[in-house]
Amino acid sequence: MEYFLEFKGIRKSFPGVQALRDISFRAEGGRVLALLGENGAGKSTLLKILAGDLSADEGEVVLGGAPLSFSSPYDAIKAGVSVIYQERQLIPAMSVMENIFAGALPRNSFGFIDKPRLKKDTQAIIEKFGLPIDPAAPAGRLSVAYQQMVEIMKAYRRGSSVIAFDEPTASLAEAEISILFKLIAELKREGKIVVYVSHRLAEIFQITDDIVVFKDGALVKTFVTDETSEPELIRAMIGRDIGDTYANLSRNTEYGETLLEVRNLVAKQVKNVSFSLRKGEIIGFAGLVGAGRTEVVRALFGADPMISGEILLEGKRVEFKSPAEAITAGLALCPEDRKEQGLVLYHSIRDNVSIPVLSKIRRFFFLDRKAESALAGGIVDKYSIKTPGIDKIVVELSGGNQQKVILGRWTSDQMTTKILILDEPTKGIDVGTKAEVYQMMCDLAKQGFGVIFISSELPEVIGVSDTIYVMRGGRVTGCVHRGDATEESILSLAMSDTVKTERGDAK
Amino acid sequence: MIVYTVISKGAFIRPRNIRNILQSTTVVSLLTIGAGSLMIAGYLDLSLGGIGTMCAMLAAFLLRAGVPWYAALAAALILGGAGGAFNAVLVNELNFQPFIATLATASITQGFTSIISQGKQIDIANPVFNFIGSERVLDFIPYSLIISLFALLIYGVILKNTKFGRSVYLIGNNAQAARLAGLRPKRISYTLFINAGCLAALAGILLAARLKSSNTVGITNSQFAGMTAAILGGISLGGGTGGMGGALAGILILNCFNNGMTVIDVPPYWQVVASGILLLIALTADFLSARKRAAN
Repeated sequence: MEYFLEFKGIRKSFPGVQALRDISFRAEGGRVLALLGENGAGKSTLLKILAGDLSADEGEVVLGGAPLSFSSPYDAIKAGVSVIYQERQLIPAMSVMENIFAGALPRNSFGFIDKPRLKKDTQAIIEKFGLPIDPAAPAGRLSVAYQQMVEIMKAYRRGSSVIAFDEPTASLAEAEISILFKLIAELKREGKIVVYVSHRLAEIFQITDDIVVFKDGALVKTFVTDETSEPELIRAMIGRDIGDTYANLSRNTEYGETLLEVRNLVAKQVKNVSFSLRKGEIIGFAGLVGAGRTEVVRALFGADPMISGEILLEGKRVEFKSPAEAITAGLALCPEDRKEQGLVLYHSIRDNVSIPVLSKIRRFFFLDRKAESALAGGIVDKYSIKTPGIDKIVVELSGGNQQKVILGRWTSDQMTTKILILDEPTKGIDVGTKAEVYQMMCDLAKQGFGVIFISSELPEVIGVSDTIYVMRGGRVTGCVHRGDATEESILSLAMSDTVKTERGDAK
Repeated sequence: MIVYTVISKGAFIRPRNIRNILQSTTVVSLLTIGAGSLMIAGYLDLSLGGIGTMCAMLAAFLLRAGVPWYAALAAALILGGAGGAFNAVLVNELNFQPFIATLATASITQGFTSIISQGKQIDIANPVFNFIGSERVLDFIPYSLIISLFALLIYGVILKNTKFGRSVYLIGNNAQAARLAGLRPKRISYTLFINAGCLAALAGILLAARLKSSNTVGITNSQFAGMTAAILGGISLGGGTGGMGGALAGILILNCFNNGMTVIDVPPYWQVVASGILLLIALTADFLSARKRAAN
C-alpha cells in the first residue's frame, strides 16, 4: 500500500485574516515535498496544524488512510508526526542520548534508567546517519547544526512517519546544510514522508521531489521539482518575474574617504582581524556560521569586550566600551536576531525607533511625544512600512517590515549614523522583500553610509557587496572584490579545514 | 469592600477606619514604588524590608546619640542607597540572580539591625520625627501619607514621561535589544536599586517615627506586601508592564482587604492565610495575561 499524508479542504482563519483557504494536496511516502511561499502565505500555519499546535476550522488531515485528530502536539507525536522548528527544542543540560530518548528512556529491572542500553541504542542511530556526535555530550554544547541533527534523530527514534522541517537551513552554513541534506535523503530512502519549508530556491531544487506553492493562504499550484524552473516558481509565489535581482540593483560607484579602519582586532572568537571601509562602500563578511563574523562586529560596536587591536574612525583612534558610545560616534548595528536583539517586541514602532534619540526628543525633562510621533511617522513613510499606524506593536509586523523599523531607527534625521552594520538582514525574509532590502542597502551606500554586510548566503553576499572579506575560525582568510568573486572561490576560503573544526565542535 | 461594609455593619467605612487604612498605606506605598519600578525593569529586591529596618535603626541610634534630626535622616537615607548599590553590584558585576543576591542582602541587613541596636528597641524622642510620624492634616490625613502619595505621583510621572522611565520599560521587555539600541541597562539597574533602597529607608523611618521607637522587626519582609500590591496593580513579575497608577490601586486593594479582615474579626492566623491566597490570585492573573501576550 502506498503511504501518504493528505490535506483535505483545510481552512483556518484568525481575527481579520483568512490564513488558509481550502487547502488540499497530498504528500507521498519516500518523497520530499516543499512548501513554498512568501512570508504570510500560510506555510507556517499549515505546519502548526500538522503539528497539533493549531486546529483547522474546517477540513481534515489524513495519514495512511486514517484521519488525524490532534488536540495537542503530544497527540501529533503519538500519531507519528514530528515537526522540526527553527527554534531548537532540546533540553540543553541533558545529554544527546537523553534528548533523543526523552519520553521513552529504557529502564532496567530496578526501574532506573538503563544507561548502557540507552548509550548503545543512541550510538546505533548516530551511526546510521554517520554523524560524529558523542551520545553523552550535553545537547547545549553542540553547534546549532548538530543540535538540529539531534532533533532529527529524536524524530527518527520516535518512529515518526511524517517529518516536517520549518526553514531548517536558516541558521546553518553551507557545509552544515550538506550534512542535513544527507540526513533527509536517508529519511526519504526509509520511505518517510518529508515536508520541507524553505525560502531558498536552490535548496528546494536540490532535495525536493514535489513543490506546493502558497500565496495569501491559498494553494497556487503543485509542481514536480524536475519539471519546473526557478523563474516559474518565483512567478507563482509572487505573481511577477523579479528577473536577475543582483544585476538590476542600482549601485553606488563613487567611494569617499576611509571611514573605518580596524587593525589586528582580537576578541572572543576573533583572531587578528583587519579591514577597512570607505564612505559609500558595502563590505561583505562571508563565512560559515561560527566563523567569528558576528563576534567581530559585536566587539567593534562595544557590545562585547575587545581584547586588543586598533579601531580608527575617520582617522581617529577610538574604543567603545558600550553600544551607547559606538552609537554616539556614528555606528549602528542591525543584529542577526531581529526579534531578540534588534527590537523590543512588545513595544510600538514609535517606541522602537526613538530609543537611540530619546535624549534629543525632550522638552525639559519630559519626552516630547509629538516629536517622537513625527519621527516615527517619517520613518514609516520613508520605508513604506506596512502598518495601520505608528502605535502598532512590532511583534505583529512581518519580518521585512521589522527590518525596516530597525533600518529606519538608524537612518532617521535625528541620527548621525555613518556606518551601518547589517548582520544577516535577510534572514527569514521572503524573496520579494529581500530584493527590496538589497536595493535599500545600495541606496544607503549612495547616501554616503559605509555598510558592513554579514551574510551566510553566498549569492547575496557576492551579489551585493563591493568587497568581500571571508572568515574562517575567527580569522580573515581572504578579501575579494565583487568582480573577482565566485561562489566556489569564496567557499574554498571559508571552508578549508572545516571538517576538522566541526568534529571539534561536536565533542 | 461592600461585603466588608455589610458584615461589619458599617464599621469598615467609618472615618476612623478609613484613617487607619490610609495610615497603613504609607509604608506599603514607598516599598511598592521601589519594588514595582524594579519589577518593571525585570529585577526584584527581597531585601527592601531589611534595608528599611536597618536604616530606621541607624536613625534612632544617631538621634539617641544626640545627632541632629536632619543629619540622622540623611545618614539613614544614604545607608539605604548604599544597600541598594550593594544589591546592584551583586546583580550587575558579579552576575548573581537578583533573587539570590537580595535574599543574602536581606539577611545581612537584619544582622546589622541587631548589631546597631544590640537587639533592643530604641525610642525616638525627636520632635521633628514625632511630628512627621503622628501629625495629620485637618486631623485626618497623616503627613507621612502625603509624603508617600507625593512620591507615588512623582515616580508615576517619571516612569511614563521621561527618558529614564521609558528606558525602564524597554529594559524590562528586552534588555539586550535596548542595550544594542543605545540604552545603558547597567546604569538604569544601579539607579533603580539605589532608589528602592532610599525609599525603603524612608519607609522604615516613617514607621519608626509613628511608633516613636525603632525595633528589630520594623518593616522586615514588607517588600512582599509591596510586591503583592504591584502585582495586583498590573506590574508583571516578568517585567515591562504596569505603572504607578495601577500600583496605587493595588495598594488600596491590599490594604482594604487586610484591614477589612480585622474589622470583621477574621482570626489573625487566618488573615495570613488569606493574604497568601490574595497573592496567588494576583499571580494567576499575571500568569494569564503573560500567556495571552505570548500567544500573540
